[in-house]
Amino acid sequence: MDSEYAITTQDLTKVYRSRWTRREVRAIDGVSLNVRRGTIFGLLGPNGAGKTTFVKTLLSAVRPTRGSALIFGRDASQPEARRPIGYLPENHRFPTYFTGAGMLDFYAALSGVDAARRKKLIPEQLELVGLSEWATMRIGKYSKGMLQRLGLAQALIHSPTILILDEPTDGVDPVGRRQIRDILGGFEARGVTIFINSHLLAEVETFCREVAILHKGKVALSGKMQDLTAGKGYRLSVPHPPEALTEELRGRATSMAVRDGLVDFQFPSRELANGALDLLRAEHCEIEALAPTTSTLEDVFVRTVSK
Amino acid sequence: MVTLALISDTFREALARKIFWVLFGLSTLLILFFLFLLRIDIASGATATITLFGRQAGANPNVDRLVRGVYGGIATFLYTWGMFLAVFASAGLIPSVLEPGRIELLLSKPLSRTHILLGRFAGNVLVVALNTSYLVLGVWIILGLKTGIWSPVFLISIATTTFIFAVLLSVVVFIGVTLESAAAATMITVALMIISPILAQTSLMMRLLSSEWSRNLWRGIYYSLPKVYEVGKMTLDAIQSRTFAGYAPIWSSAVFGAVVLGAALAIFQRRDF
Repeated sequence: MDSEYAITTQDLTKVYRSRWTRREVRAIDGVSLNVRRGTIFGLLGPNGAGKTTFVKTLLSAVRPTRGSALIFGRDASQPEARRPIGYLPENHRFPTYFTGAGMLDFYAALSGVDAARRKKLIPEQLELVGLSEWATMRIGKYSKGMLQRLGLAQALIHSPTILILDEPTDGVDPVGRRQIRDILGGFEARGVTIFINSHLLAEVETFCREVAILHKGKVALSGKMQDLTAGKGYRLSVPHPPEALTEELRGRATSMAVRDGLVDFQFPSRELANGALDLLRAEHCEIEALAPTTSTLEDVFVRTVSK
Repeated sequence: MVTLALISDTFREALARKIFWVLFGLSTLLILFFLFLLRIDIASGATATITLFGRQAGANPNVDRLVRGVYGGIATFLYTWGMFLAVFASAGLIPSVLEPGRIELLLSKPLSRTHILLGRFAGNVLVVALNTSYLVLGVWIILGLKTGIWSPVFLISIATTTFIFAVLLSVVVFIGVTLESAAAATMITVALMIISPILAQTSLMMRLLSSEWSRNLWRGIYYSLPKVYEVGKMTLDAIQSRTFAGYAPIWSSAVFGAVVLGAALAIFQRRDF
């Protein structure tokens, strides 16, 4: 537990081979990542990029073909290395014969929580995720959002020091999402490392401190969120510009959007933005706003996976 | 604690399946039958008056023979229909735990894969052992109280039935781990049960088969597969105080079960989920 990194992977590679045709698919290919202790890390990537395989190798559900995965410096294939992990799988299938409390009791026991502590922790966790009143109800009756919150309680009940969450807000309504973010925020404050695998870029952008984008099984981009989305251009907002000028500026801008009677042009550099401003002023157009912009994570993501 | 959790989970899942309740219900019906409908009045020594549904059955029957006959009937019921039902009920317990979305969560816990699979196996065996004990002990106590005959040899059927179930369950586990199909697990396991009395006719087949290679093939199949029929017959012979040839069917079945379960564990260790 004295490692600087919560997760370390080195040249992690998983090749699936078809049993009959011997065709190979490289799900992940030489992935080397370091996730610092106490950070909130987002793993992104298009479908089939290898995110799920990567997460499964961390949990030893998938055996890597090559390379290593360490959890707090310990080989992830060792059962003890997984003791500090709280995991919420995507598309989980919790046994429906459990009640909410029964399910927490079972998974907490598997995580090594003794009976006395479980008795104390189960009501607390159910309260935390807002399911106290459903404690004795069979989970077959739970909605998808409720199951997701119960799954989160299951991941948290043994006080893990690293949380691996696969699409944690999947199927949860906006209020529930906020609630989950607040809960996870509390764990971040306690120094828990949170590793999120998600498709919801806006959510990852607001919540994660660091991010990596997997593409075709390789790390295409990684870094701190603020560095990746820092100053990337200028937005010029103009009310009702003449049509001919609009067309000309559209050609110079990286993007154009119309909203509420305003036309927003996005320019990649200050020079281009000033040039556009000169043209608009020459035509006596009014300017609503000129502001530097940062890239959204979505911009970064699209640019990265489009290469 | 972890082992107990795995076993109790298997219990919960088994109880959620109606077929285990059918098994339990049939056992209860048999116990109730002996409790309320069969009346035995000991007249002198080994003779008795037996009343079934209020009617006297036979003239001066031998109580000891009657009790052993009942024991034999119960043991046969358990060993055949009980075993079928238990295999049907258990066949889905391994594939269900390997379902995507469930197995990853289990594997994320600080447990070895061997621990997970053996916990499941032990839980399943325990469910059947308890049901078998319930029926056998129930009938044994009722008949003991009614006749004064306490023949502990009947209790052997708890051990032999549970043992053969464990051997067959190793096949269920193997098929479950490799094919993840409850239907395939049931079919193959039931086939082993059905083929067993045929394979047991080895001495007859040695005379009937003309070529040496076919005799060797028969012997090979016979010695490598579990001796479901012969262990059942041994149990019946023991209950009826008859002699039996030896314990080879038991240990050879045990070896089969251990090898198959070992293979299932080895495959489970290497699998990706």
